[in-house]
Amino acid sequence: MKTIIRKELLDHLRSVQFAVLLAASIVLFAANGLVFVQQYTRLNTDHHKAVAENDQQPSTMMTRPYRAPSSLLFMAEGGDKSSPKGYWLGPKLTRSPMPAGTANFKMPDIPELDWVFIIKIIFSLYVILLGFEAVSGEKERGTLRLVLSNPVGRVKLLTAKYLAIISSAAIPLLAGLLISLIVIGVFLPAVLGPQNLARIVFFFILALAYLSLFAFLSLLFSALIPRSSLVLLVLLAFWIFFAFFIPDTSSIAAQKFSKVPSEYEMAKLLGPTIQGEVWKRIAKIQDRIQKGELKTEQAVREEADRAYEEGQVSVRKLYDDYDNAMQERAALAQRISRASPAALFQYAAEAVSETGPTAESRFLRDVRNYSRTYDDYILKKVGKVVGTSPWSFSTGATLNGKYIDLQSPFPQQYSGDKSDFPKFSESRPSLIDGLHNGLWDIAGLLVWNIILAGLAFSVFLRTDVR
Amino acid sequence: MLRTIIKREILEYLKSAKFLIGLGITLALAVGSTLINVQDYKGRLQDYQAAVQEMKSDGFYQHLYRPPQVLSTLIQGKDRKLGNSITVTYLNIPSTTSGYMGEGTSQHYRLVSGFAAVDFAFIVRVVLSLMVVFIAYNAVSEEKSSGTLKLTLSNRVPRDQLLLGKFLGGWFVIMGSLAVAALASLILVLSHSFIAFASGEWTRLLAFIGLSALTLTVFYAISLFVSVLVDRPSISLMILLQAWVFLIVIYPNLGVIAAENLTRLPSQEHLAQQKDAAFQPYAAEQKKVQEAFSQGVQKGEVSKELSLRNIDLWAKRADLEHQVDEEFGRKLTAQTNLARAISGLSPAVLFDQAAERYGRTGLAEYERFMREVYRYWQQHVERSKLMYTDREAYKKAPAIEFRVPVETTAEAFAATWLAWLLPAFFSLAFFALGYTAFLKKDVR
Repeated sequence: MKTIIRKELLDHLRSVQFAVLLAASIVLFAANGLVFVQQYTRLNTDHHKAVAENDQQPSTMMTRPYRAPSSLLFMAEGGDKSSPKGYWLGPKLTRSPMPAGTANFKMPDIPELDWVFIIKIIFSLYVILLGFEAVSGEKERGTLRLVLSNPVGRVKLLTAKYLAIISSAAIPLLAGLLISLIVIGVFLPAVLGPQNLARIVFFFILALAYLSLFAFLSLLFSALIPRSSLVLLVLLAFWIFFAFFIPDTSSIAAQKFSKVPSEYEMAKLLGPTIQGEVWKRIAKIQDRIQKGELKTEQAVREEADRAYEEGQVSVRKLYDDYDNAMQERAALAQRISRASPAALFQYAAEAVSETGPTAESRFLRDVRNYSRTYDDYILKKVGKVVGTSPWSFSTGATLNGKYIDLQSPFPQQYSGDKSDFPKFSESRPSLIDGLHNGLWDIAGLLVWNIILAGLAFSVFLRTDVR
Repeated sequence: MLRTIIKREILEYLKSAKFLIGLGITLALAVGSTLINVQDYKGRLQDYQAAVQEMKSDGFYQHLYRPPQVLSTLIQGKDRKLGNSITVTYLNIPSTTSGYMGEGTSQHYRLVSGFAAVDFAFIVRVVLSLMVVFIAYNAVSEEKSSGTLKLTLSNRVPRDQLLLGKFLGGWFVIMGSLAVAALASLILVLSHSFIAFASGEWTRLLAFIGLSALTLTVFYAISLFVSVLVDRPSISLMILLQAWVFLIVIYPNLGVIAAENLTRLPSQEHLAQQKDAAFQPYAAEQKKVQEAFSQGVQKGEVSKELSLRNIDLWAKRADLEHQVDEEFGRKLTAQTNLARAISGLSPAVLFDQAAERYGRTGLAEYERFMREVYRYWQQHVERSKLMYTDREAYKKAPAIEFRVPVETTAEAFAATWLAWLLPAFFSLAFFALGYTAFLKKDVR
């Protein structure tokens, strides 16, 4: 067994594929490290500056909870570049996302050069290139017959070939990861704390599990199809299908299959809701004065405030429904793309690194929780909590011949001491929480491995080696 | 003689399993992606038409909508990503478009970020180019290793004719595959009643197919060259696949990374400061006018001059802020162009850029839209002023027309000449290299 592994491994190590993979791995991972160092330094400086500015100006009208940049962006960027870097948060959870800032939307749509990308796209391809000839190549050359005429079991032979493929992918991978880590460690030693190192180790295991399924896939087709070039063609088709086709079309497919209303359908409701729930109630005030329901100026003002506030609740609910609808669509797209092991790997890696949509939702949850503390604080200081509104009104009503000027209520600034202003803090989930989130994706990767391994072995055991 | 060689080569390819498998995969992916993209286009078109009908502008908020492009069914480009609505007032021109929910609220990004386009352009760039490699990698090396090259050349077959025959034979097969895949996708697209191509779109489509053919020819010429140079087919396949991965996956990515790190973009905070600074000379006056205006409203009498000045100042502010946004936009474009220039030697990058141009699904079209938004906004400001100076004229004033001028095909060609010239040069260069190498080749 050892001899076979050694022979196979040496064969791989001498191949063009291996040399190129090693070189590409070193270049890409080094670039990844360098880019991350630059990016993270800038993001972190910006973040601290923004947080400090916000802390210096505590306000009961609006505050700005910011999301700290993830220190594992180099591992799985997870779309963090285009997700909001924080929220403008008003009382009553009225919020709007801040623009992400760093992304240039005009750039060609090219994925981030994070570890996930390098492994998901490039390493998986090279595992195919290392493995496609494993059985078919030996058949073509006639050596398979010779090997199996010796006392070597087929299971052993295939296991040895599998291990050799995995090891020859793992060597460049490890070299690349180390280079990336060295670059990061030299410039940003704080990033490589024990928490992150544990995540990195786990990521490495995930990467091996992902690459392993491509090794099994290669062995399966290599045993199934006698001509190596055809094996490679079929494998590359699978690679395109898994790495590009399924993940990239899932967003459109989700919109097709989702019963959740589209952005337009939600937007359409916005105008009528504002009209019906807010302006109509304000307009009714004059009628109610004439009917004698509102007798004093204070009653008129209070009614105007109340009508406006209650109307806002409906509008805010619409915004929340919209948020949920968009999240649900994005989640459906994710679920569809899970048909591809490449997507499973990506989501599992994001779960381990605490980046991606789940982490973004977690941040929003933190903002929601903080919003309650914030509202309590405002109530304590100002006496009432008025939500921020993207629009305002200015109207008037006549009571007993006297004109009353009615303005939309605004959140008020508390001018006294605000040293006890509550600070926003993000929850920091542990690796266990991350694994819990990514459980299904990790399980999915294992299932792919088991199925493909089973198929590869059963096909190879029956293959005609003549 | 040449004809016989070509015929033999074509027949040989058509019988081969790799061709059949390759064509099968290409067709399956082309049909699948086109079906998906047509459905997406349908949804976006319905939303757009409904929005134009139902979410109309009022006197203050002017809603403008960006229509989906019909060619996005084949060349998706950035069409899905670039947002579909923009709302201007005389107080504000947003710097970019957003989803229908509007600036600040729309979560359009959630639905589009991280998803690259899988469309016919992708099929050409990734799937067909790969098929080309598979067709050509052993064109010469296989014959050499199996010994038939020696036999063929022992007949009265000139070397140059043999290589030309091989080149043309394979080339016809590749063009045939491209044509079949393009026809399949096109029939699928046109079989839907809500899709109709204007005459300009047909020309653009033809230009796109022509460009696809040229791009595939580059890959073909490179493959043939390597096949002549390297004697073992398995090695030539490996070399070609490495080149393919580099040109299609790695090199474009490195261009983007290099450009992002070579040029710095100003932060949002910096832009906000710039905007404030630009308006600084008018800030004091605006404050004064604003106060007088509010007092006037409360008293119920505001002079015409004051109202006009108020709008003027707000519009001035919006305009100055817009200039800052424009300047920032130019920086983004410069960075993007740098990225493209760095990775411009990859035929895939040039192809993508030109394809977007022909599909009208790229940035050029978006920038035309934004220029029209600005023109519209200027007219809207003038009209808003009428509300205070001449109410009758304001009521009678016709609606401002919003029509993004269509780029002519000639303009599109003028902008994409490099995408034709460079691949043409590479095709010729690699063919010439292969040719001379083949003439000198030891065929034993």
